[in-house]
Amino acid sequence: MTKGRRILKDQRLLLLIIIVVLSATVGIINPRFVRLNNIMAILQQISVLGVLTMAMSMLLISGGIDLSIGNMMTLSGVVVATLLMRGANLLVAVLAGMGVSTLCGLLNGVIIAKSRTMPLIITLGTGQMFNGISLLIAGGSFLQFENKLNFLRTVKLFDFLPLMVIVMLAIVVLMYVLLNKTRFGRRIVAIGGNERNAYLSGIKVDLYKILTYGISGAIVSVAGLIFAARLNAITANAGAGYELDALVAAVIGGVTFDGGRGTVLGAFLGCLLTGIISNALDILGVDAYVKIVITGAIIVGAVVLSNIEKLRRRT
Amino acid sequence: MSNQSQPLIRMENIVKEFPGVRALGGMTFDVHKGEIHCLVGENGAGKSTLMKILSGAYTPTSGTIYVEGQPYQTLDPELSQQLGIEIVYQENDLVPNMNAVENVFVGKELAKPLGIIDKKGMLRRVRESMREFDISIDPQQKIEDMSVSDQQFVKILKALMNQSKLLILDEPTSMFNVEDAGRVLNLVRTISARGIGIIYISHFLEEVVQIADRITVIRDGEVVRTYDNSKRDVPLSALTLDMVGRPVDTFYQRERFAPGEEKVLEVRKLKLEKHSPPISFSLKRGEILGMFGMVGSGRTEIVRALSGADRFYAGEILLNGKKLHISSPRDAIDAGIAHITEDRQRLGLNLGSSVLENGLMVKLQYMKPSPLYDFKTYAKLVSPVMEGLNVKTPSLMQEVVNLSGGNQQKVVLGKWLISDAQVFVFDEPTRGIDVNAKAEFYRHMTELAKAGKSIIMVSSEMPELISMSDRVLVVREGAVYCELSGGQINEQNIIKLALGVISHD
Repeated sequence: MTKGRRILKDQRLLLLIIIVVLSATVGIINPRFVRLNNIMAILQQISVLGVLTMAMSMLLISGGIDLSIGNMMTLSGVVVATLLMRGANLLVAVLAGMGVSTLCGLLNGVIIAKSRTMPLIITLGTGQMFNGISLLIAGGSFLQFENKLNFLRTVKLFDFLPLMVIVMLAIVVLMYVLLNKTRFGRRIVAIGGNERNAYLSGIKVDLYKILTYGISGAIVSVAGLIFAARLNAITANAGAGYELDALVAAVIGGVTFDGGRGTVLGAFLGCLLTGIISNALDILGVDAYVKIVITGAIIVGAVVLSNIEKLRRRT
Repeated sequence: MSNQSQPLIRMENIVKEFPGVRALGGMTFDVHKGEIHCLVGENGAGKSTLMKILSGAYTPTSGTIYVEGQPYQTLDPELSQQLGIEIVYQENDLVPNMNAVENVFVGKELAKPLGIIDKKGMLRRVRESMREFDISIDPQQKIEDMSVSDQQFVKILKALMNQSKLLILDEPTSMFNVEDAGRVLNLVRTISARGIGIIYISHFLEEVVQIADRITVIRDGEVVRTYDNSKRDVPLSALTLDMVGRPVDTFYQRERFAPGEEKVLEVRKLKLEKHSPPISFSLKRGEILGMFGMVGSGRTEIVRALSGADRFYAGEILLNGKKLHISSPRDAIDAGIAHITEDRQRLGLNLGSSVLENGLMVKLQYMKPSPLYDFKTYAKLVSPVMEGLNVKTPSLMQEVVNLSGGNQQKVVLGKWLISDAQVFVFDEPTRGIDVNAKAEFYRHMTELAKAGKSIIMVSSEMPELISMSDRVLVVREGAVYCELSGGQINEQNIIKLALGVISHD
């Protein structure tokens, strides 16, 4: 393989180049784009998606998928908001939200591992359940909790880096360590890469799958907190659709559907790219509807590009 | 039994029956510490069944397995591993996106506190083992970037890390060139010198005689003979004689007639890949041309190129003297080449659809488009063909998943008859169907030839090949190695040529 093709094959490098070129171009057209406060705005905008992308990437790499995480995030947010509105302690509320979301993840994991059914369909179903439960708790109303989560936005490190961005970056680092440095992580990568081999090598495949979905649930609740903090309120339907955005970001980042493949850094860069494109189109004053078309086209382009290696057809 | 002569593993009177088939009929077999015991036999002789019993994947119907004197009625995968039995399978059983070290330790990773993996420690252990067994690979290279032979070394290394006592190698050199095969053989010798018992399964008889301490030949699920090969001098001809040698009267007797003189299909210097050998052969009108080769010899790849399933690199295919351009299955079908694949359930049929729909799967592309699925007209087309083939189905609307294997295969054949194919390529035409259905299928194939159609039949079943073929091509290492006809077509000739034991003159 030539060096050029090797670079093309490494999604991370490719993404980095695209991001730099894109940023430079937009920055020349409109210097406002590369100012520190705009960069921070982009990072804040992607902080919810960034966290969700980490959960989704972990699941994809382990050979799974979870389409309920959008509604799962809302449910945990609704639980936190409801408790805060009733005067509960902040820590209690956060832990309760995390607990609920972890249970949701474990539920998905148990059903998928034990029934051997397709995670895609199962999590579509459980996602509806979570959405229904959110509606039962919140009804159709706005849950407002008097700025109790504002600290995620207002507390800033060195006066410019908001806490929610720090939390997102921390989750990215944690996920990197989990998947690359820990025994647990390497085992779920092995399961995603070749489940039969993992089973024959003595790995308790079902247990690991269940735990993976559980951990994903816990991470999703973090996204729920940031989500609620950014809006300063939450409704029962607010998070629907986020699971697909996370899926797209992960796939743009080089994570594949067939498992075992993909990197945490790549997935994060994929997420960052979607954020940059969205922000750049705003700054360039592109019409909102045109923006949707362009965003869709860029997703398609990125995925086609990442599949160039596999174009030769064999039955 | 004295302790000294107690074998590491002894399988006594192992019988394994599947519904309708007796895969192993009372096999007795043993391996000692530090011994290399080779198993040879035709495709389907029972080698892999035996292996699966040792790995715990199958439960024997009767018989006893002694592991260091301890009797077991059956093993399960976990127990088998605990007893130190390790199998290195032919198919790829590694995680492609991980490196060698990680693959060796999958599920048994070394870790520091907090579950942080100890990469250095694992690398050190792998390097130690590599030194002990004299294996040279790059332990930090990803499996998908490795050569096939290096992958094989990783698999063996992985098996060795588990304190194994018995190592079973299934065709470890089948994909290799001579030099790499030599590296594997040296490794096998080194391993046995460490006191580990080895069961070595191979089609390469020369290789077998080079390394085996003992050689056991099996045929149709029974041990034919066990040779002492301590002097490395068992004659290859004795082995091949044992591998075949069925009584002639068990063969199907087909109606014989002379095929026509004109060449219907001609393959000229076909090269599948850039560096693969050129292949040339021809097929006459009304002829049944058999094609034989051991697993991995490349016979399926050749017919896949003919039918457009895979693209080929260079060469010409002529039908009735006219050059064909085949780059997809559609091109081959347009030309009248039918491909009855070796995997009817996955590639040959749409199992959830009816006999009618499957029968029309090809023909429909060539009929005048009609706005509706015109069942009546279609039934008139399909019904006589399926009746002519004696397909046993309650109705044309029956889903083929409910039919027996033999009837499913007839539906596949029917599909191609309906589409007016001229050349029929059968890949393992009677795999997995019972004896009576086989005979019936052979009759249909013979009738097809008699009606002037031409047939290529890839088969690894020797009786089928000998009783049906007008000529036989022996395929070896991706090339048509030689051609047999008339009285030359017998079991011994074919097996010897396929194994490369004698050269053809």
